[in-house]
Amino acid sequence: MPATVPTPRSAAPLLEVEDLHVEFDTPDGPVEAVTGVGLTVGAQETVAVVGESGSGKTVTALAVLQLLDGGRISRGRVLWDGTDLTGLDRRALRRIRGNEIAMIFQDPMTSLDPLYSVGHQIVEALRLHSRMSKRAARERAVELLARVGMPDPRRRLDSYPHQLSGGQRQRVMIAIALACSPRLLIADEPTTALDVTVEAQILELLRELQAEYRTAMLLVTHDMGVVAETADRVIVFYAGQVVEHGPAADVLRDPQHPYTAALLEAVPGRETDRAEPLAAIPGAVPPPRAMPPGCRFHTRCAMAWDECARDEPQLYPLSGARAARCLRHRSGTAVPVATGKGA
Amino acid sequence: MSSPAARALPTGAPPDEDLLEVTDLVKHFPITRGILRRTIGHVRAVDGVSFRIAPGETVGLVGESGSGKSTVARLVLRLLEPTSGSIRFAGREIAHLPAKELVPLRRRMSIVFQDPVSSFDPRMTVCSVITEPLEAQGISTGREARRRAGELLELVGLSAGDLDRYPHQFSGGQAQRIAIARALSTDPRLLVCDEAVSALDVSVQAQVLNLLRRLQAELDLAYLFIAHDLNVVRYVSDRVCVMYLGRIVEQGPADQLLADPRHPYTQSLAAAIAADPRSGVRRRRGVVRGETPSPSDPPPGCHFHPRCPYAFDRCTSVVPVPVAAGPGRTASCHLVGEARGA
Amino acid sequence: MLEYVVRRGLYGVLVVALVTVFVFLTLRLIPGDVVRLQLADAPGVGPEQIAQRAAQLGLDQPLLTQLGRFVADAVTGDFGTSFQSGEPVTALIAERLPTTLQLGVMALLVSVVLGVPLGLLSAVRQNSWLDQGLRAVSVAGLSIPNFWLGLLLVTYLALWFSWSPPLVYRTPAEDLGSNLVHMALPAIALGVTGMAAIARMLRSSMLEVLRSPFIRTVRAKGAPERTVLLTHAVRNSLVPVFSLIGLQVGHILGGTVILESIFAIPGMGMLIFESVQLRDYPVVLGCVVVYGAVFILVNLVVDVLYGVIDPRIRYA
Repeated sequence: MPATVPTPRSAAPLLEVEDLHVEFDTPDGPVEAVTGVGLTVGAQETVAVVGESGSGKTVTALAVLQLLDGGRISRGRVLWDGTDLTGLDRRALRRIRGNEIAMIFQDPMTSLDPLYSVGHQIVEALRLHSRMSKRAARERAVELLARVGMPDPRRRLDSYPHQLSGGQRQRVMIAIALACSPRLLIADEPTTALDVTVEAQILELLRELQAEYRTAMLLVTHDMGVVAETADRVIVFYAGQVVEHGPAADVLRDPQHPYTAALLEAVPGRETDRAEPLAAIPGAVPPPRAMPPGCRFHTRCAMAWDECARDEPQLYPLSGARAARCLRHRSGTAVPVATGKGA
Repeated sequence: MSSPAARALPTGAPPDEDLLEVTDLVKHFPITRGILRRTIGHVRAVDGVSFRIAPGETVGLVGESGSGKSTVARLVLRLLEPTSGSIRFAGREIAHLPAKELVPLRRRMSIVFQDPVSSFDPRMTVCSVITEPLEAQGISTGREARRRAGELLELVGLSAGDLDRYPHQFSGGQAQRIAIARALSTDPRLLVCDEAVSALDVSVQAQVLNLLRRLQAELDLAYLFIAHDLNVVRYVSDRVCVMYLGRIVEQGPADQLLADPRHPYTQSLAAAIAADPRSGVRRRRGVVRGETPSPSDPPPGCHFHPRCPYAFDRCTSVVPVPVAAGPGRTASCHLVGEARGA
Repeated sequence: MLEYVVRRGLYGVLVVALVTVFVFLTLRLIPGDVVRLQLADAPGVGPEQIAQRAAQLGLDQPLLTQLGRFVADAVTGDFGTSFQSGEPVTALIAERLPTTLQLGVMALLVSVVLGVPLGLLSAVRQNSWLDQGLRAVSVAGLSIPNFWLGLLLVTYLALWFSWSPPLVYRTPAEDLGSNLVHMALPAIALGVTGMAAIARMLRSSMLEVLRSPFIRTVRAKGAPERTVLLTHAVRNSLVPVFSLIGLQVGHILGGTVILESIFAIPGMGMLIFESVQLRDYPVVLGCVVVYGAVFILVNLVVDVLYGVIDPRIRYA
């Protein structure tokens, strides 16, 4: 029974993903990477999708724009303004890509065509969705580069990606993405490949532009700190499923799923006691073919009950527009799941 | 593990002397242009670095891209030869030692790289991967080596039954454990971890960090721990050196350095770390302007001055030297050591 | 970029020089005495006439002296005279070179114009029936020797359609239609190998490029598939294909030696063929130097083209 999240605002959500299942073909048969995922993004909202590798977060982001390579949506709907993107023909889809929904990717070095100047690539984005002349598009590109904080933007138009630093390349990607003023920006780990000081700059830039362009953002990340800093709401992924979601501040301060809590504990912070071992999560993420019965996390969970090995938990709604996929919440009341100290 | 006599250093240095002492280490890579390949400049990857590591100690080396920290790792292991400067390992000067004489010393130092999967030959079994250094050093071969490999796998939390599998069959965290087992095979005293946990998922990173700590206690290992994540470095290290554009800008005990950074660059690094998510507080991070310049054309004087909020005219011409900034701490900044703190 | 080209050019000159010396020495190793060949049936031939003829041809000097004289003359553009006809070698070559160049260009066109679309289609329709079929054609094309293909074409066209190419060669100026028809078959025979190689290389290069992250970015911008393929994917796949084209020119030049003889085309290939049989060293040497220079030049152009396409090479 898929649970879609009611957005706190009264307006209808911009993006609504319902019961998404994504399959990949492997030599040993199809394998499901995403199982029954639902999420919504409201206008001007920032929703963070957080999880580790293999959690299905990137696959979900790509599925929104139907950019899956080698995979396909086997079930579910992706509703954009009420229209199901999964059923759209190619031409209609192209009118949405880059125009109403834009996407930026993780590694700016390999995400830009090395043979064309950055100006050409920005102009291409502009002219794909408008009738701008080349000259007008070039002028607009200069404005965009200036807006994303590129020093000496007019000269930089003719630079090639390999001549720019990592931070500058990511700024170019952001300029390309925002060229047509999209209503939703999907950012797939946009700062993972960057230095931490540059990461701070880029996140601040994204925040400013979001406010200015009134764009909603779906931010995929593995870094809880980034979530704390940027997100209104957060969705936690594990092994292809959503295991928890809710307002970011609440989820981070008081996680209701053991995995979320464990993830927060496992990262060394400023105050972490150096004399104690880190609260690591034992074991590893189960491979898609070898999912344990019952709850997918139970083999690594410090608080597992016997039922966890048999019954599959649903995404049980909690108060405060939250939900968690844990049998502890089956009765509907919040139960503390802070790990370690005798919970 | 082996007896103290077997683990003695080949130089016969007394056991409490510094294991590694690096002084004014410099590495410049030439840049060539033109038909005749003339040298027109240098990439000043490492521009005068000094630090020391005591036996059993963990020294963290933190910096961003272009800081030169990976080059320092390679210099310490003599995978590169320095342009100038001194590297004393176990009391012996190895900076310009010929390759043949380095061989016995190579037993006592090892390295673990960032990407475990690409640091293995995909055609070698786990057993071969671990026994290769043993055979190369002439320590043991055949069945004896295989037995030792099995022991090492158990030590790092895997099982001897994995000896005949291939690296690609393991997850990232497990592969990194295999890399650690390989690094430990020759019984080193110093292990260099070059971004050893940076490519791992958060939950796995914690496991590997715990493993490294346990091994350090059991085997009396010293670590040179290189990373860009200040929090991880602080957790793992006894002392931390912060590098910027080829130079160490601040050194000191790990706790104090992060809690009270004195050098403006360290301050910006500390501020750039995201707010502690558990507090739920959304704190705007202090943003330092600009990006790290290229090491082939560093700014004169203090390398950080173009981005430093406190720079004044002296900073543009005079290179700051390390100045005491508290007990056991130094910082290379003209503003430190004077009446006001930076 | 300029110094890149100049450096390549200098290497090229060095290679041509080395090739020339190498061929010079190897030719002398072939059994067969040119003097005896020429004087074989003449009556009254005795040792003095043989020695006299040898001196006339300059063959009585020590080998190194001969080499030295050749190099000294060659540098000034004088490749000597034919042992057979006495004509200056440069004149002979100048007469024949345009024909062979025309054949070479036509063969190269066959390779590229057929090979590129083949490779593209294969990559875009990976693993389909079309792809499998085209790959089979590629393998066949690579395996068949060009002279055999030439013979096959002539034989079966005659057999099935009672048609054969013109027997007498006409230059384009004299009769363009006849010329093109005449050159078509050998051009095809020479070009098929290149077509196959280019198709395979382009296919594998494209498949790799299509998996690159930046292709995903282009699609995410909303670009039509046509743009993704032609503007971005193909251009990024071209560098190894250019290398291949450079090497193909070598095969084509080599193939002209036999194919021109099969098809009765009076080009340099035929000249080399005949001159080797007659041990006409100066002519052979001159031709080899010219072929070497053409090959080097083409590859120099390829090197420049790398820089034109790929800014990373241009601004290295």
